[in-house]
Amino acid sequence: MFVRLLPLLLLAALPLDAAEPAATPPAVDKKSALREGDKIWSGLVYASNDPSPKDPPAELRDFAPRLKRVFGYNQFQLAGSAVKMIDNDGEGWLVPSKNFWLSVKARRAVSKEARGGYLLSLALYHDNRQIVETEAKLAPGSPLFIRGPACGKGHLLFVLQVQQ
Amino acid sequence: MKTFEERYTAWIDGQLTGAELAAFEKELETQPHAALDRTEAHQLGDLLRTHRTAPTLINADFFSLQLQQRIAAETPQPRRTESRENGGGFWSISRLLWAGAASLVVAGISYVTLVPTAAPTIPVEPSNYFAQVVEAWPSDPSISATTVYNPQDNLTVLWLDGLDYMPSEQLALQ
Repeated sequence: MFVRLLPLLLLAALPLDAAEPAATPPAVDKKSALREGDKIWSGLVYASNDPSPKDPPAELRDFAPRLKRVFGYNQFQLAGSAVKMIDNDGEGWLVPSKNFWLSVKARRAVSKEARGGYLLSLALYHDNRQIVETEAKLAPGSPLFIRGPACGKGHLLFVLQVQQ
Repeated sequence: MKTFEERYTAWIDGQLTGAELAAFEKELETQPHAALDRTEAHQLGDLLRTHRTAPTLINADFFSLQLQQRIAAETPQPRRTESRENGGGFWSISRLLWAGAASLVVAGISYVTLVPTAAPTIPVEPSNYFAQVVEAWPSDPSISATTVYNPQDNLTVLWLDGLDYMPSEQLALQ
């Protein structure tokens, strides 16, 4: 009887928050440090609901479950993509489709949390008309998503990702 | 025709007269205790007539207490159990053990049912995800740009509203 109750007594002696793991800062991946040849990949994704959804593109495979929860769609199809090398001046255009393109200016982010990422100045255009201008921080493996206009029975998403 | 008992009662009460009295007294010659019965009955009647009510108790409570004490003193006491005579009392070793175990069980059940515990948390693995929207400036007042970051899903989304609808036929899906 006492042996069976011993764990219960020990549990009662513990403070309530003792079982919770202490919050640890995210580990810094040294491999993600800036190096030559970094690229910015942009994708135009059509998000919709389908009874038999197709597999997401490889670039979004890791994020598909979270995209489903955030946007409420179960199918993500790539409608276009573009890649640009990050050169010295850092400025350029990404044209993932004939209707949408992005003006990109990339600078290396100096903050430690950026882990070799970039500070991007973006401008999104739709048919020669600027929609939005933004500044965003990106790191390798951490894409930024932009929810675009409604399209068909879904929505268009823009994905920006730093690739090494 | 009256029975003997009726005539005997009437004789004691002095209600027989004349020839009836004489005949009955002649009959009583064979009953030597009749005269004694009649005398005792008259004495009892006189006593009851003199003391018609019971005497009032001035100290009834004291009388009751004395009566109870006397009853208790004269009542034989039951034998005490051997454990009590040995000084063990109710709390024997085995009973103490059982009481202790029962207390622990009650404490455990109370702890589980009454003490609030932290809500179950989903273990969150340290994530390397890092994407931030520093600022966003829509080019048209009809367009709104909102940064959506859900810590649970760990995704950063620049959420644009107010954009023109686009037919899906214009897309070249891959």
